[in-house]
Amino acid sequence: MHHAHIDKFAYQDSPIHRLDPRAKLAVTLFGTLAIASLPRFSPDLAFYTWLGPFALLVLGRIPLRFAAKHIAWTLPFVLVLALTSLWYDKTPTTILFGPLLWQSTLGWLKCLTLTAKFIGSMLALIALISTTRFSDLLMVLQRWHVPEILVIQLGFLYRYIFVLIDKAHHTVRARTTRTLKRLAPKQELRIGTAMIGSVLIQSLDTSTRITQAMQARGFVGQWHSPKQFDMKRGDWLFLGLATLYIGMLMYLSHLVGSVNSVRPT
Amino acid sequence: MHMANELLSVPVAAGTFAIASLGLGLVCRKVKEAATTDQLGLMGILGAFVFSAQMINLPLPGLPGTSGHLIGAVLLAILLGPHAGALIVSSIVIVQCLLFQDGGLLALGCNMINMALVPAYLGYALYRLILHQATDTWRFNLAVMTAALITVLVSAILVPIQTAVSGVLTLPFRTFVWTMVSVHLVIGLMEGLITIAVLAYVKQIKPDILSLNQKSTCDNRSRLLVATLAIFTLLLCAVFSLYASDKPDGLEWSYAERPEQPEFQSVVLPHEQADTVETLQSKYTLLPAYTKRPTPIGHINAQDVALSRGWTSFAGVMGALTTMIVIWGVAWCLRKKRATA
Repeated sequence: MHHAHIDKFAYQDSPIHRLDPRAKLAVTLFGTLAIASLPRFSPDLAFYTWLGPFALLVLGRIPLRFAAKHIAWTLPFVLVLALTSLWYDKTPTTILFGPLLWQSTLGWLKCLTLTAKFIGSMLALIALISTTRFSDLLMVLQRWHVPEILVIQLGFLYRYIFVLIDKAHHTVRARTTRTLKRLAPKQELRIGTAMIGSVLIQSLDTSTRITQAMQARGFVGQWHSPKQFDMKRGDWLFLGLATLYIGMLMYLSHLVGSVNSVRPT
Repeated sequence: MHMANELLSVPVAAGTFAIASLGLGLVCRKVKEAATTDQLGLMGILGAFVFSAQMINLPLPGLPGTSGHLIGAVLLAILLGPHAGALIVSSIVIVQCLLFQDGGLLALGCNMINMALVPAYLGYALYRLILHQATDTWRFNLAVMTAALITVLVSAILVPIQTAVSGVLTLPFRTFVWTMVSVHLVIGLMEGLITIAVLAYVKQIKPDILSLNQKSTCDNRSRLLVATLAIFTLLLCAVFSLYASDKPDGLEWSYAERPEQPEFQSVVLPHEQADTVETLQSKYTLLPAYTKRPTPIGHINAQDVALSRGWTSFAGVMGALTTMIVIWGVAWCLRKKRATA
């Protein structure tokens, strides 16, 4: 199973891993909200948002290459949309950056801001997920009164996702090793659907077996966990620092926002 | 089709999140009424199935270099009914966001609406509307194809609408809509063909699976409601795309561009702008010592908009970089020490 690496870091131990999952989830939510509300033409401000998640990743001993790889996978769609601002917004502007001064367009500022914000919020999410077990997050959701059935569904999905991804990969690999060239679309489609169909039949079989096994062990549609959450001093400190950091970002964005929206008289 | 946080403004993200949560809450209640313990396991596994089927990217015919994958909401809605279908795809979107960072945390509302709630209900309504009581294969295929194609297109149109309302992108609304529609036309056709073929395969091998949905088939009244909702959504999309403006929003109009006034210079007036930068410089200083050097702000002409704040932003970025390096260095040293200890 080569997908186990997706959240293997969540099972490590570090000060960040030991923090209360409720605090981490709340901070990630508000942090993301703060990042989204930053002004649209401030790449420098958007860059500051990297700082907090970066600290969490380093202190949580998550390899930065892991985070970079995840960001690289999901970057293209945002990058395509961000790059279009280069074409559609060519308002000239002068950029001052310390000793440097150069002519550019608002499109560039927008593109850079969008990308930097994207990376900032991705880093925050990666920091949350790679330092918190998914089962703990589910318990938090349950505490926060998210409908039980959704939490159960998420738990089931998480449990079997890796098994089935692996099965799908087996199917894809089996097909690849038996293929010398790409066929006509019609044949590709026929083979593709047969592959998906066989994965579906396999998952249905698996589901029957798993449900029977779970029911035999007394599962009646409820999730139980012995885990107790309590906010310790470290958790409060983390919450305080995070609030300070997010508050500072919001204050700066308020200041910069007032420049960005100056109206000509 | 997964949207990132940055393509949405905070009010739009919050609004769609609220709508999606409300919708999901109702869906959960519906499913809880109907689902047995057997079905809970089945729903989890089918979710994992659609998740992994989404990983099989098939090359798009006619569009070299691009590939598309199944969305699966229609397939699930036909197999398990619209409520369970919507719930399963919502959970997939949540897991994709959390575990695979595919789609933003704030955009979760939008993604759930675009990929789970609308496709499951709209697709199921269209499927039922066309199939009605018929059992022949031809009509079944037509129903599945229409449901899959239309839902993919509607979801594809919802993305530009949400970004246009947010006003984050500079890309003109119509261009965005046409690009999305043209690419998703092919993806929708593929989705339809794959759904038909998978269901045919299932029918052949395990015909009993297709009757899973018998219990949760909507009665006539709720079918009418679903159909009305579906038609309403379609009309809304069509009307919206006809009348929506691709002109700059109020804020952009105010200082960046005015298409109807070509002589309008995109400026923030010089002294005013310099003043604000001045006040900013005095207020917004992370490292005041670095801002003491005279900045060339005074030399900027009227046409320029100095949005980047000279030494302050330079000092800030350098400060942030240094902090990152320090954090990394300290952590590295500590780790070395622990390893040798």
